[in-house]
Amino acid sequence: MSEGTLQRVEDDLAIAARGELGHALEPAPGLLPGEERPHPSPFKYVVIAVVLCVITAIEVGTSYLDGDVPDGLLVFLLMAMALLKFVGVAGWYMHLQTDKPIFRRFFILGCVAAVILYTIVLATLSVFAA
Amino acid sequence: MATIEQTTEVGGPPAQGTPGHDAHATSTGVTNTKLAMWLFLSSDCLFFGAFIASYLLYRGRDVSGPGPRDLFDIPFTSATSFILLMSSLTMVLALAAIQRGDHRRVRIWILATALLGATFIGGQVFEFTEFSREGLNVSTNLFGSSFYILTGFHGAHVTIGIIWLLSLWGMSVRGRLPTKKAESVEIAGLYWHFVDVVWIIIFTVIYLVPQPH
Repeated sequence: MSEGTLQRVEDDLAIAARGELGHALEPAPGLLPGEERPHPSPFKYVVIAVVLCVITAIEVGTSYLDGDVPDGLLVFLLMAMALLKFVGVAGWYMHLQTDKPIFRRFFILGCVAAVILYTIVLATLSVFAA
Repeated sequence: MATIEQTTEVGGPPAQGTPGHDAHATSTGVTNTKLAMWLFLSSDCLFFGAFIASYLLYRGRDVSGPGPRDLFDIPFTSATSFILLMSSLTMVLALAAIQRGDHRRVRIWILATALLGATFIGGQVFEFTEFSREGLNVSTNLFGSSFYILTGFHGAHVTIGIIWLLSLWGMSVRGRLPTKKAESVEIAGLYWHFVDVVWIIIFTVIYLVPQPH
């Protein structure tokens, strides 16, 4: 029997020993490299997904207000909701909330650099004035 | 002198004392592969930022050809965006499953993520085909160029992600993805979620923000 097959049998036995349904919504027991705190539980992941879906639905609904509310307000609302979803996915699904701060710093550096750089470029080319 | 967190001594025990994970001692206390992925994602922000900025720069400056108001089907794109968002959920569930040692569910969730990603790509191909039929190609106007380049590069990222996920699924089927390799799933997941967050921005900026009259 190959090592891979043995590993699979061992894992399946471990799963069976814990009970198929009993552990389905348990938080993961071990920490991955770079983790400071345990990742959220699967149940929390589902709750976050529901919240993200609700925000998306509100966002799409808001876009239909085009013409009824000032464009500036509409753009602000849409961007705020997109930012909220961005933070939700990056914070919980990408685990920036629970991992070591070094990852957060690197990612924020890239995001902030991109926003500053391209805002300057677009401002220089008078995009916002238009 | 020490500006970098020294959490482990060189040659000492792994950065995390968790048994079952491939943690190597590094001067930063985190694995190089994960750090490299975050650095790549950080640089990819600038990559996509360039294309989003180009789109905004050329927005409303077309003199010929169909524009966004003539082409966009918001309900359809909202549905494909929802599918991509849900693929992020299945991806984290795959990671949670491998951390528990539940390899059957790892395979289910990884395959579900790849299928949802493939559905998103199918939607994008359909959208591109419809736009082309309506007369919008890469060289038709400024909107066509900036739109196809931005969404096309995003689609290419998703496609790479699908191939990556399918290779992980294949490894898992062959028993080559044990619990100690959970970080492989996490790194693939980081890439996948990044593709999702980029789409969150693209969807809002291109499709939902009011088009110039």
